[in-house]
Parts: sequence; structure tokens; C-alpha cells
Amino acid sequence: MQRPHPPRRLVLGSLAAAGLALCGLPARAQADKPLRLGFSMARTGMLANATPSQLNTYELWREQVNARGGMDVGGVKRKVEFVMYDDQSKPEQAVRIYEKLITDDKVDLLLAPWGTPFHIAIAPVLEKYKFPMVGNTAASVALRQVKPGYIWFPTSAIPDRIGVELTAFLKANNVKSAVVIANVLPFTKEIKNYLEPELKKAGIEVKMSAEYPPDVKDMTSMLTQAKQANADAVLALAYPGDSVLYAKQAKELGLNSKFQFVAIGPSDPFFPKAVGASAAEDVVTIAHWSPRPQWKGSQPFYDAYVKKYGEDPDFLNSALAWMSLEILEKAVAQAGLDKAKIRDIISKQTFETINGPVRFDGVQNAITPTAFVQYQSGRLQVVWPKSIASSQFKAKTGW
Amino acid sequence: MPVADVLLSGQLLFAALVTGALYALVALGLNLVYGTMRMLNVAHGDLVMLGAYAGFWAFSLVGVSPLVAAPLIALAGAGIGWGLYRVLFRRLLGGFGTNSARMEGNSLLLFFGLSIIVQNVAAAAFTPNNRGYTYLENVVHVGNVAMTVNRLAALIVAGLTCIGVAFFLGRSVLGLAMRAVIERRDAARVVGVDVDRVQATSFALGFATAALAGVLVSMLEQFSPFSGFQFTIAGFIVIILGGLGNLMAGLVAALLLGMIETYGVALTSANLRSVLLYGLFVLTLLVFPNGLLARSGVRR
Repeated sequence: MQRPHPPRRLVLGSLAAAGLALCGLPARAQADKPLRLGFSMARTGMLANATPSQLNTYELWREQVNARGGMDVGGVKRKVEFVMYDDQSKPEQAVRIYEKLITDDKVDLLLAPWGTPFHIAIAPVLEKYKFPMVGNTAASVALRQVKPGYIWFPTSAIPDRIGVELTAFLKANNVKSAVVIANVLPFTKEIKNYLEPELKKAGIEVKMSAEYPPDVKDMTSMLTQAKQANADAVLALAYPGDSVLYAKQAKELGLNSKFQFVAIGPSDPFFPKAVGASAAEDVVTIAHWSPRPQWKGSQPFYDAYVKKYGEDPDFLNSALAWMSLEILEKAVAQAGLDKAKIRDIISKQTFETINGPVRFDGVQNAITPTAFVQYQSGRLQVVWPKSIASSQFKAKTGW
Repeated sequence: MPVADVLLSGQLLFAALVTGALYALVALGLNLVYGTMRMLNVAHGDLVMLGAYAGFWAFSLVGVSPLVAAPLIALAGAGIGWGLYRVLFRRLLGGFGTNSARMEGNSLLLFFGLSIIVQNVAAAAFTPNNRGYTYLENVVHVGNVAMTVNRLAALIVAGLTCIGVAFFLGRSVLGLAMRAVIERRDAARVVGVDVDRVQATSFALGFATAALAGVLVSMLEQFSPFSGFQFTIAGFIVIILGGLGNLMAGLVAALLLGMIETYGVALTSANLRSVLLYGLFVLTLLVFPNGLLARSGVRR
């Protein structure tokens, strides 16, 4: 199923643009032709439920760019249209799609797919065709193995840094002991591997450490033990699916540690809906963004997203997606569609984004600090590190 | 935790019963359709997913309690099952006469297609977002066992439904006819059982229990258009453990599965969940190929 979406509008749009181009003056031809941006997205399959916050962000951006006359391509404004394919939650499918986008659809620019394995899988394709793409929703120490040049990762939520920063955060809040439970999927497993040695180094006693499979259906026995451990902090290295299970069962069993960290899931607006606002309150999770006056455009982005979709953006994935678009937009404004120039600009310049300044060192963001957010009065606030905090950490007083 | 504490913990028993009861309800519908028609409904989990959406929309859009909406949603499920049987499957069954092997293969493809259509239509219509809501989230304590009210409610509803269906099969004429068709299809026809009516009923009942299970699931966990598959798999494991088409054994197998998921994990490690589950599954197939509780010499 490789259907561009939405096909009819795209075809009509292209026909209209082509028609205009034929009638108009040659110099205007290119400006009238819409700029085509291609990407794949998991619209079906096991990961499809994780992708809407990223796709919504892309669509919001397209709407805003087109409303202000189009994307600035080296001084010429061109309307933007998307060429999207469903990768069916399969990285190998994404590889084929990106090849097709470059060689067959001949898109002007590429946007990122969802998720770490997809970014890593398509990196060689970008390299092969020398086609630069700003990544977004990918986080792993494995990203550092990706050859630098044509792909960049704006996130600072890399597991080894999370290990160091989370430990410092716990220490600063006087946490003496912790329970670690971890989903064995790659990202959380990586965090566990980097986090536990850091905790030990810092003298935080790990009273219990357990792993569980992604298809876990019941956590009663694990959380009963966690409760008996009576630790200051519970570090639930969970994925979106089990983050809800954890919160619900921790509530049932009265697992009331004052520091409740849930790795992935709570940054998505579905979390407070699924577990209830009071249960979500004071839960700490991974993200490095929240609207701040110091970060230009962050509040307008938040407001526009909420207005269009009626719910909060994902504070990690939506923010990253928007940052990647801001970076691409600024590079293309200077370089036009010259791929080598785009690549140079992204590699060397510092970009102002809704998450503050971003500069890449190799494939990685060298500026944005690794950070954590907490639900406070129903809103996520950056609570660590202090340099970008929008609020102070509060102890969780129950579910 | 010491072994004795694990085994005697009421908290674990509660968790095992909730999981087991939901599995039982899911597997019941799957088994009814398989038993009466030898059709393996691989779209069964997707029906559970649709039931979950129905419960979710009823609660979030209309503000109706999922427990109140549940009978109506089950009824709607029954209607869909009955309609599908009349429109699609009766023709299929009729076309093959006694060639049941070919019919089984074709129905598998048909259900597989149905599953893909249902998933993708649901994704297009409802977006692939995770959904969830909070209903009866308060915790009650009975002795030293803490129970979230919605889990308790799900346990009661699923348990009562299974018992109700068991009574229906054991006591009512139509239920007995259904069992007759399951055990000796041709003999049932000879003694005058309206096989067509039995099949339509089992389709309706199978779909209704799936939809009901979906509503209960929606109260407990989050779901998306693609979360049906896990229920299909759980249902398969249960009915193969119990013996295909053997309804009562399926209920016992479901509880057993719930026990393994909770007690097995408590005694070993959560990481061994799949090993325990599929280990038991393979072992059962090797030692009791007709199911754990099959009566020897009776089945096929």
C-alpha cells in the first residue's frame, strides 16, 4: 500500500500548478510549482498509535507555511505539499519508500519518519543519494554510530545522558533509594544499562531492579515487590503501552514513592486521559521542551497545536518534529534546493528553535541539555536541569 | 517475596482472576464460532477492539457509563455477527457442502481480509491514536487486597457472562442444539436440529461476547485500532489449550492462563512470561494434542 496521502488533492494541486506554470512566464514557473516534501510514516501496524503527534505537527506546519505564502526557497516563496507513504511500521519498508521518494517521485526535500529504527535504516539511503534530512523522533546511543553528513538528530534524550542527568536530578531532590523496572525494548533497556551504574556511583541504593517484556499484561507481582522495597523513587522505564498499566496498578497497590519517573508515554496527551489527571499529576518523564518565553515561537506553537487538534502536543515528539522543520526551513531559505549547500548550513550553523538554539556536532545536537518534565496542575513543565527549568520539582503525594 | 507469600497473596489471586476472566470471555466467542462452523475467526480480536471503541465513544461523547452501554454494544455486536453470517458466511458454507477442509481454508482467508479491513477502516475513521479514559478508578480494600473498582466490575461482568453462556448451552433448547452441532454436526442435522439457525446464533453470540469483552477492556487499558491482534492470539492459546470447540474446557484454560501470567511471573521473572505461556502451549500440544481437558475418544 504505497498511496500518497491525500492523493486526490495532491494530483489536482499538481495539475493546477502545472497548468499555471505552462500559461505563465518561464521565470515564474518554478515559484508557482509547489514544493514537494516526502516522508514515510507508520499509519498502520503496531507503531501507528505512536505517530499521530508527529504527523499532526507536520500538517500544522504545512498549513502555517502555506498561509504565509509558502516556504522560502532561496528568496522565492513556494507552497508546500506532502508526498506521504505508509511504512506499515516496518523499517525495511521505509528504506524502499525513501529510495522511491528520491529516485521516482523526485521530491524536493525529505522529512523524517517516526522512530529510531526507521531513522537508522534510512541513513544509508540518504548517504547514497547525498540527500540531507533533519531527523527528529530518534534517540539512542546507536545514533552516534550513524555516519555524519546527511542526517542530524536534534534530541538530547540520549540514554547515557539520561542516566547521568536523572541521577543528578534524584540526588538534588534528596533521593536515597530507588526501584528500577524496565521494559526490555531497546530504548528503555539502554537507559537501564546507563542509569544503574550512575545510581550506584552516586550512592543511591537500588533496592529492586526488574525487567519485563513489552507484552506485559499485569504488573501486580512486580509492583507488590516494589512497594515492599519502600524506596524514595520508582523509576519505571516504560513504553507508552505499559506506562498506563504501570500508573493504574501503582495506584491500585498504593505504590506511593515521592519521586515517580515514567520514561515514555506521559509526554503524550493520551496519558492523563487514560490514567486520570490526578494520577498523572507530579509524574516525571523525558522531554526537553515546554513553552517558555525565552524560546521564541514556543508558546505560539503550543497555542496553534492546541487550537487545531484540541489537545496538547507531545512535549517530546511534536516539539522535535517542529524543531526539525524550523531547521530545514532556515537552511532552505539560504541555500535554495542545493543539497550540498543545505548540508553545509545544517552542519555548521546555529539555529534558533522553539527549544532554544540548536547546533549540530556530527549527528548530534550539541546545545540542548538533557532534561525532564513533570505534570503540574495538568501541564508539563521542565523541572530539570535548572538552566532551562520552567518550574520546580514537586514530590508526588499519591495517585 | 517468599514462595508461600506469593501463593497465598489475595492480591495476586485477584489479578489472576481478572486476567483469566477476560481471556475466558474473549476465547468463548472464538470457540463458539469455531465449534459450530469450524471457522477460525482471526478477526475476533478486532471485534474486541471495535467493542472497546464503542465503549470509549459512548463514555467520552455521550457520557454514558460503559457498564450501561455494554449490553447495547453487545447487542449491536450480535446484530453485526448475525448480518455477516447471513450475507457472507452462509453462502460460503453452503458452497462447499461437505468439503470442510477447503471451507476452513477459505474462511480463514475471509476472516483475515476482514481483520485487515476492520483495522484500517478503524485507523482511518478514529485515527491511530491511543485511546483511554478513566471510569471507576477508585480503589477499594477488601481485607489486605486492593482492588480498582473497574477491574472488579470487569471481573464480575466477564464472570457472570461466561456462567450465563454456560447455562444457556446446558439448559436451553437452542444451547443444547448448539452443543449437538459442535459435537456431532451431521448427527445433529439428522435428528432435526436447524443447523443454519444454530450457526447464525453462534455467530451472533460470538460477536456479542467479543464486543462485550471490548467494552470491559476499554475500562481497564488503552487501545488503538491495531491492538486487536493480541486478543486474537490470547483467544487462540486458550481454545487450543482447552481443546478446539470444547467450550467449558476453554473457560478452565483461560483461568489457567491467567494464573500462569500472574503466579508464573511472580515465582520466576516477568521476562519469562512468554516462555512460560508458549512453553505450556507447546507442551500441551505435544502431550494432549486434543487439548488439556479433552475427553479421550470423544472428539473427532
